[in-house]
Amino acid sequence: MATLLAKPSASITFTFNGELISAVPGQSVGAAILETGARTLRVTRFENKPRGMFCGIGVCFDCLVVIDGVPNQRACLIEVRDGMKVNTQVGGAWSK
Amino acid sequence: MKIVVVGGGPAGLSAALNAALSGASVLIIDSNANLGGQYWRHLPASWSGQSELHLDLDSGLLLISSVISHPKIEIWNDAQIWNATHENGVTTLRVITSGVEKTVLSKTLILATGAYDRSLPFPGWDIPGVMTPGGAQSLLKGQGIAAGKKVVVAGTGPFLLPVAAGLAQFGCDVIELLEANSPLRWFKSLPTLISNLSKIGEASHYLSKFKKFGVKPKFKQTVVAAHADTNGVLVAVSIANIDSNFNIKKIRKVNCDLAAIGWGFTADTSLAGALSLKQIVTKDEGVAVWVDENQQSSIKGIFAAGEITGIGGSELSIAEGVIAGLAAAEFAGFKTKISNDHKKVRNRKRKFASALINSYPVKSGWQNWLSEETIICRCEEVKYSKLKFAVTELGATDSRTAKLLSRCGMGMCQGRICGRSVVDLVANEIGISPSDISDKERISVGNRPIITPISIELLANGE
Repeated sequence: MATLLAKPSASITFTFNGELISAVPGQSVGAAILETGARTLRVTRFENKPRGMFCGIGVCFDCLVVIDGVPNQRACLIEVRDGMKVNTQVGGAWSK
Repeated sequence: MKIVVVGGGPAGLSAALNAALSGASVLIIDSNANLGGQYWRHLPASWSGQSELHLDLDSGLLLISSVISHPKIEIWNDAQIWNATHENGVTTLRVITSGVEKTVLSKTLILATGAYDRSLPFPGWDIPGVMTPGGAQSLLKGQGIAAGKKVVVAGTGPFLLPVAAGLAQFGCDVIELLEANSPLRWFKSLPTLISNLSKIGEASHYLSKFKKFGVKPKFKQTVVAAHADTNGVLVAVSIANIDSNFNIKKIRKVNCDLAAIGWGFTADTSLAGALSLKQIVTKDEGVAVWVDENQQSSIKGIFAAGEITGIGGSELSIAEGVIAGLAAAEFAGFKTKISNDHKKVRNRKRKFASALINSYPVKSGWQNWLSEETIICRCEEVKYSKLKFAVTELGATDSRTAKLLSRCGMGMCQGRICGRSVVDLVANEIGISPSDISDKERISVGNRPIITPISIELLANGE
């Protein structure tokens, strides 16, 4: 298979649920997590069901994660930054 | 006061550039980090190899760089409009940008807010690994990653082709490409298709890609259920042969780790609704902003272009954007000329869009795919049984009441994902056929006084 992308090497790191992940500047939080093979970004508040990226463009609010303690952040929209602490959002907006 | 353009996709960029070239000062408010919209979504400039995934990224990048370098155009990226009002000829936009809430006033406004994938609910559509084709495409084009390895692409419409081709080219095993409608529908609109020869060229481009990567499109089949492993993540889908009304004939099961499923597009009319612009129901039972010959809406000084005036693709969006930009500049007092050629191009593209809609209908048989337990509203986790209960036991006679009684559509996405489906499901429950659903009922789904969620803190600290 032809390589389509000459992606710059990962030069920043962030954590997802405490696990260190390296990323390329310009990547979204969601894409950088997805690249590790993880699919679940949040757990729903009534039925504890896993949810991941769905619309990918900021419409559906399904990829919500907690970033540096702030919940309800759309992983598909937010650019990853060095040293970010990202966690799975469990339940609703009020749980920190 | 500047001409304000909302949206940085093909329509918004064309409008902004043409207004600026006419002498006007322009402010573009775009919710994305980079200009280009969904269609020209691209990798950061420091990455390479992106043009392989686009048919015409070059023209997009040229337009983007022209807009960025134009001295009369100011750009706000990552900016979300959460509220809009119009009074005495002035529109007030409340914008969240760089973590601050700001107010923008405008006498001349161009809305080019675009569209997003239309989804239909089915058992398991909330499982991680089920995505919209637009979502899979945005990860490919904007992030350079494939959202899975073994992929099923399904739904209806020409957009499935570039998504499947892109994923295959990226090394994914596209095991199924399923178009729910019959290919025979194309022939009904043949004359219009022939007048848009570039589109036929585009289709054959994708077909050659499919041949190269061994992807065989199948018709009259679709995904009707998704299945999860013990971690709750996608492992398989049920694929059905369906009749022309989308009723299931027989089912087979296929393992996959990504299912990209979409049913055309829904225009993002939230802002138009907040401003009380006249809206219409289109042939695909979607909602669009009404515009006149010059792309002017029902309110003087507010123009609309691109997908929000009716789904039609990038070429129509550009044609409308050009006219909207020139007309807005004229409205703002600048001397411009909208040529008949501009309008001719737009009208031809519109005809083509209309033919496409006829070729890819979404038929009501999809409602039979649901079980009592199927989630309808993803945000509030409202099941089909609960929505039906709101009608049959609690007495809701329209989708708005059903929404209030079931919480269907009352979550963070504000019914953007389930709203259209809820209208159809409620009507069916009451015994109204899809063609008898009132325009008012369909239009009301997109009305959201608060366009995007905003925190009280942000609001309190606004400028």
